[in-house]
Amino acid sequence: MGDTSTILIEVFLETIGFWWVIVPTIFLGLIVGGIPGFSAANTIIILMPLTLAMELQTGLIFMVSLYCAARMGAGIPAILVNIPGTAGAAATPLDGYPMTKQGRGQQALAISFVASSLGGLLTTLIALAAMPLLARVGFYMHSVEMIVIMLFGISLIASIAAQDMVKGLIAGFFGLMLGAIGADVVYATPRGTMGFLELYDGVPLIPALVGLFAVSEAFIIIEKRVILTEEGQAAMENPTWSATFEGVRETFKRWAHIVWTSLIGLVIGVIPGAGASIASFVAYQQSRTFSKTPEKYGTGHIEGLIAPEAANNGVTSGTLVPLLVLGIPGGATAAIMLVVMQFHGVSFGPSLFQQEPKVGYGMFMAMAVAYFIMILTILPLSRYMSRVTTVPTIYLAPMIISFTLVGAFVPREYMFDIYLALAFGVIGYIARRTGYHVAAILIGVILGPLLETYFLRALKKSEGDISVLFSSTLGNILWVALIVSLVLPLVFDRNRKKKAMVIQ
Amino acid sequence: MKTTTSITRRTLLGTGAAASALTLATPSLLRAQSYPDGNIEVYIPTREGGGADRNFRAFSSIWKEKLGTDFEPGFYPGASGRVGYEIYMGKAEPNAYSLIFGNMGPEVLNWAVQEPKFDINDYFYFGRVDTDPCCVFVGAESPLQSIEQIVEEGKKRTLTVGTSRMAHPASIGILALGEETGAKFNLIPLSGGKNTVAGAVTGEVDFSVLTSGSVIAAGDSVKTVLIFGENRVGEALDNAVSINDAYGMNLPEMLSARAFGIHRAAAEEFPDRLDILQSTFDQTFEDPGLMEAYVASGGTPEYLNKGGVDECAQFVKDMLELGARYKPLLTGA
Repeated sequence: MGDTSTILIEVFLETIGFWWVIVPTIFLGLIVGGIPGFSAANTIIILMPLTLAMELQTGLIFMVSLYCAARMGAGIPAILVNIPGTAGAAATPLDGYPMTKQGRGQQALAISFVASSLGGLLTTLIALAAMPLLARVGFYMHSVEMIVIMLFGISLIASIAAQDMVKGLIAGFFGLMLGAIGADVVYATPRGTMGFLELYDGVPLIPALVGLFAVSEAFIIIEKRVILTEEGQAAMENPTWSATFEGVRETFKRWAHIVWTSLIGLVIGVIPGAGASIASFVAYQQSRTFSKTPEKYGTGHIEGLIAPEAANNGVTSGTLVPLLVLGIPGGATAAIMLVVMQFHGVSFGPSLFQQEPKVGYGMFMAMAVAYFIMILTILPLSRYMSRVTTVPTIYLAPMIISFTLVGAFVPREYMFDIYLALAFGVIGYIARRTGYHVAAILIGVILGPLLETYFLRALKKSEGDISVLFSSTLGNILWVALIVSLVLPLVFDRNRKKKAMVIQ
Repeated sequence: MKTTTSITRRTLLGTGAAASALTLATPSLLRAQSYPDGNIEVYIPTREGGGADRNFRAFSSIWKEKLGTDFEPGFYPGASGRVGYEIYMGKAEPNAYSLIFGNMGPEVLNWAVQEPKFDINDYFYFGRVDTDPCCVFVGAESPLQSIEQIVEEGKKRTLTVGTSRMAHPASIGILALGEETGAKFNLIPLSGGKNTVAGAVTGEVDFSVLTSGSVIAAGDSVKTVLIFGENRVGEALDNAVSINDAYGMNLPEMLSARAFGIHRAAAEEFPDRLDILQSTFDQTFEDPGLMEAYVASGGTPEYLNKGGVDECAQFVKDMLELGARYKPLLTGA
């Protein structure tokens, strides 16, 4: 223990000394995270020759800082202009964008920055302390358990559909059907691809994401002068620092919410193959389920913004655990980190912390320091970033469309993806104009294929025996928890109505 | 002696016509002799940053010096490599200025289980870069720690086997072992190498099969127990034995084998260009810088392994035959 403490202090001091790497990387990460289609993973790939040329410690600090900042950066356009840059930020605009429209963009950004940083910092410290324990999570969360976790996220469709159940469920099922397009995960038989090779791997997420949210939003806002409501315009005319501090204060008041939802992210993040999109939807769903004011979600509710942001940054630290302890990269960025570490001759798995403890602890320390520096460096930016919402829509809408179309193109570099984003934009526009919730469609598109993957895998393992779904103790506990979380809101709702009647 | 030359109108016109014809013909004559006079596009049917990308960059960094031109990679991932091949065969000009860099193992098996839109004889591989044998491995905490234990257990109950995808040489290898020993194996496709490693380590499946390069990279989280080919790296793969030695079988090596391919039409129309590609490919292997670049890109030195048209054709033939033989098991038909 004494040795470990000495190493940790040593590594902490060394990492702080790399502030000259961390600070510029944070800004780079915010930019690449904020541009749809770009991400920490593809930026690290592009900069791979540079990363390999760096010393191991410098390279790792660079990659980790970029990873954290990009995750946070993805929330900025999601909040300000309804463009989630990655699937992990898909739940962020549900409450972030309504806040912006109300003229509370500055507060929303401050909330997002603080929730992300605190969530990331907290989960990094927990991961550092409980690494061996957390690494075991993957040993228990297999396909059956993951089916239930997916259902937690998908059940959000029902919550979203609460206002108009039929339309909500139609939108959700439509999303699930879109999610079923592509080759099946077992025998690679193409389904519903309409002959398009580009759809063999399923509906690509970024074009669907930017099309449904951003392009359709651009079609809508072009009908107005600015994206802000009248009250929002009044609030944004004289932006002051106090709005930023208000956001910070509101977030700190909800510290318990940050702890709870970032832990959801951490636990989902340590499961190999799971990711930020699952975590943010599950955290949002859980946050809403246990809220005293569930009806406020989707209208610019602070908890609705904190939950996905804290959770997706919890995932960031979680993905490092299986990478370092088991040698299994939890996501695309972690996989690239593995390549760089291998290039420098670092071996993985249980022996890493015996042979190269400084590398193992150093990555978590880099993450903690990056999150800490991020709070200090990017919070002041919220005041200036939020000004984008005052740009007249005749300029903003074309900018959104061109940015998002480039973003749709970047991940695979197919022209097809640009057309697809436009098609999703039209679908999103029609859905909004006819009262169907685009978020319900999107949840189906994002989580549907993941649910199918785990479901088919479980069935393949059991050779078609459906009872496999109830074959594990942990799985059964999760089933009960799922049922409870679906029933509880109904009970709470009934109690609230009863109380209201008594008061009347 | 004094000589005079008189220029007549006929001479002038004749010389002019000849000069014009020579001027017009020069570009094509020069192009034939100076191939390549532009960059070579390389279609890679997997994602940027993956193993094929790293392998390609290492090889092309030396090859471009021999060929005297740059390579421009384009990444076309999707459907286990099918998308990249379809785009190469459907859209790339067959002029030897566009090549494909693929993995002959899993990608050729694709054609055996699901025919592509193009005729698979319309392209061929002319230069193999490396061969990475597939292997059987278990998680460090698995109760099964040897191939004997796996086979014994497989005779008592059906074991779940993680594989990157159904149509993969490693899948064929384990099915062949099952046929030989009577052990029962249920292939579970886990979508990619890292998930396949994770499946074995976390106990999602009883054990996994994969290309050995990825297994070496997983470090001591896993233990290799059998190779579907020759163990060229010894300790790095836990001194695991070959399937043919262990069970007296005659299975061809189940390999991941990355190679450059070209349109057959391009080779037939421009045989001189193919010659240049092949000779410079061979020269690349003679350059000691290649090994350095290959190792720097994360490659296992023992797996750098040159192969020409004949070796590639034989490999493709073996894969297609094995794919056809095991098609019902790989497709669930």
